[in-house]
Amino acid sequence: MLSKITAIAWKDTIIRFSSKTELLFFLILPIIFIMLLGGAFGGSGSDEDFRILLIVVDEDQSDLSQSLLESLQASGPLRVETQPLAEAEAAFADKEAPALLHIPTGFAESVSASETAVLTLQQQPNNSDAQIAAQAVETAVTTLSRPLTIAQASLQQAEQQQPFANETERVAYLKQGQNLAKTAVANTPTRVLITFPTTAPEDANDYDQAAHGTAGQLITWVFIPLLGTSGLLAFERRYGTLRRLLVAPTGRGTYLSGIITGQFGAALVQMALLVVFGAVVMKVNWGNSPAALAVMLVTFGLASVAFGVMLGTFVKTEGQASNLSIMLGMSMALLGGCWWPLELFPPAVQTAVHILPTTWAMQGLSALTMQGAGLRDILPIAAILCAYAVVFFTIGVIRFRAE
Amino acid sequence: MKKILNIAWKDLIIIFRDPGALLLMLGAPFLLTLGMGLVTGAFSDSDSSTGLSDIPVLIVNQDSGELGSALTDLFFQDDLATLLKPDTATTPEIARQQVDDNKIAAVVIIPAGFTDSIIPNQETAQRADTVAIEVYKNPARPISASVVQNIVDDFVTQVNTRAIGIGITMQQLAMNGRLTPATQSSIQNQQASITFTPLIEIQQETAVDPTDDATNPLAYFAPGMAVAFLMYTVSLGGRSILAERDEGTLARLLASPTSATQVMGGKVSGIFLTGAAQVSVLIIASSLLFQLRWGNPTAVALLIAATAAAATGWGLLIAAISDRPSQVSSYGTALMLLFGIMGGSFVQLPFDGPFAWLSKITPNAWAIEGFDMLGTGGSLADILPVLLALTLMAATLFIISVTLFRRRSNNFV
Repeated sequence: MLSKITAIAWKDTIIRFSSKTELLFFLILPIIFIMLLGGAFGGSGSDEDFRILLIVVDEDQSDLSQSLLESLQASGPLRVETQPLAEAEAAFADKEAPALLHIPTGFAESVSASETAVLTLQQQPNNSDAQIAAQAVETAVTTLSRPLTIAQASLQQAEQQQPFANETERVAYLKQGQNLAKTAVANTPTRVLITFPTTAPEDANDYDQAAHGTAGQLITWVFIPLLGTSGLLAFERRYGTLRRLLVAPTGRGTYLSGIITGQFGAALVQMALLVVFGAVVMKVNWGNSPAALAVMLVTFGLASVAFGVMLGTFVKTEGQASNLSIMLGMSMALLGGCWWPLELFPPAVQTAVHILPTTWAMQGLSALTMQGAGLRDILPIAAILCAYAVVFFTIGVIRFRAE
Repeated sequence: MKKILNIAWKDLIIIFRDPGALLLMLGAPFLLTLGMGLVTGAFSDSDSSTGLSDIPVLIVNQDSGELGSALTDLFFQDDLATLLKPDTATTPEIARQQVDDNKIAAVVIIPAGFTDSIIPNQETAQRADTVAIEVYKNPARPISASVVQNIVDDFVTQVNTRAIGIGITMQQLAMNGRLTPATQSSIQNQQASITFTPLIEIQQETAVDPTDDATNPLAYFAPGMAVAFLMYTVSLGGRSILAERDEGTLARLLASPTSATQVMGGKVSGIFLTGAAQVSVLIIASSLLFQLRWGNPTAVALLIAATAAAATGWGLLIAAISDRPSQVSSYGTALMLLFGIMGGSFVQLPFDGPFAWLSKITPNAWAIEGFDMLGTGGSLADILPVLLALTLMAATLFIISVTLFRRRSNNFV
């Protein structure tokens, strides 16, 4: 029986990889999706060259505007490029940058005259890079303006108590206040302490785009081909080879086991390659427990291949199987939080999508990569994925027997 | 001409009668657009640029002073009501357990003596030892927890600014011999009324009116998804050319008084019409269901036509380099996904860098740019470069495909 299963599995693997395009789905597309969604070409986890471009028009050319530029340059997500007004506006209109900051003439003069200076930040609509740029500009401006604001308030209080003898004395007082405020702001004690549960990894912090993108795309691109197992059943049906196989001394159980073994084996190889790619290229920390990672990947693979078998008993043609696999695979991955974190969805949807195996798989891999979970922590998730595998496989076998 | 149109109409009807094809042509883009709407908060009432809402957060206020109460009240303010779902807890242990059980996004623990560590005692003018507010973050909800942290950070920044400001005011007055007992008393009594208005303001502007429908994120993703799955449709058309050959219907067609040019013209027109019809259906559906405004109808129609033409070019090229119909399907699906990600249909592209340049070979990137311009109030004149690029792409691909078909024409039929 084992040799029959192996023979069927090998036959399916040969059929699947007979087309060169299979490599595209197996490795190339997943890697491109991981790199783009994992932030390898922009976003929080990117290298310097791919930081978000902020065009700045500095018409003031003052020390203060220079300080602001330095503060913006030092900001993590931004790459600052100064341009003349006309050139900058043309570039922004041509959508060459998500945001344009305009420092008008008289910026420093307004601030030293204790008048509010207004900077204009133009943003492209419907663009997340523009929102990140706006946040970074706001942080840089707050950092720059705090000592100035404090010195200004101090000056006003002094003037209220006793007017200055002349402008020189007033300016000197303001400068003194700014210097004192700068030192005081720099020496402000920490008044916010960020903590995490003890189980969290040492580097736990904000959202890790690389870890989320890699784990999410691994699930997406393993799930879609495993749903494509349905196409194998449709293929055998179309060419009549399924009947021939079943006329031979080969049981339906042996046949299904062979199909599952072939697809599941290929999925394990694919997952292993993507895990290595994630670790080496995307610098993803897959957690401290290789056993936990293995359990998650194996149970997810089983649930997915069982879903594919069940789907195969519903579809009639290979075309239907292929289209349904892509549509279901992409939709279930998106709704399961594999493309964007589940916490971005409305609460009711977050609850509802727990009916999908992709949601559980993503929850498990997120727990390993971002929350420091171990084998014991992910066992309940693995059990749920096993339950999915049993249910899908049972439905598939019952319907297959009825054919 | 009639024959060409008949062949085109026949192909269009065949595809639109195939439930399996409709799944990917209409079902998938619609479902994915819906999913993107949920992620980006397009269906929520909040002003948030994401779907984040009702973030569960617990506040443990152990401070008996005014700052502890002020921070607690901040979390319960009406303008944060959509974003946050705050509650209070009596002890840090109970609250932390809620994070450990993944029931809430974060706990904010305001320690005893927080106010006294910032506002000096009126009698002694001394501050108590520095204590810090603890934000206990749930690593399973990193984005929500960061929102809570930002709120606390902003509050503490304001408090610090005021505390430093009062301190510097006193220090400067003393340093410059302006501090008299009366002045000191006056400032201490009026502390609350001293304003620290930021001297630098940022005026944010978007290229469109923020109340306009065009700022709806779906205005980006709906056309993106429609164009992504258009690539699948054109590959189906390309597949039908090879399928007609394999099934013998092409030979029969050519045996009738129909020239090879008419047959190819009909097939190409069929691919173009099917693609244009698919995008039109998705545009009409999203206008009705998501209340999206697409802009000038004539310009939209021309853009659909140009996009369908460029995509048809790719469909023909795939058919020209393939030997079997199944190969066209594989290449087509791969190209749909590849162009989808490279062209910005599934995820917004970076503005510059290698992917921004590479995206220009896809009809997706040009079409999305055009639809974006029209949706944000652009005119036909604004999208002329986009129309030109798509038309050039269509013409180039058509010429290459015809050349390849001709080279293989001896053994094609």
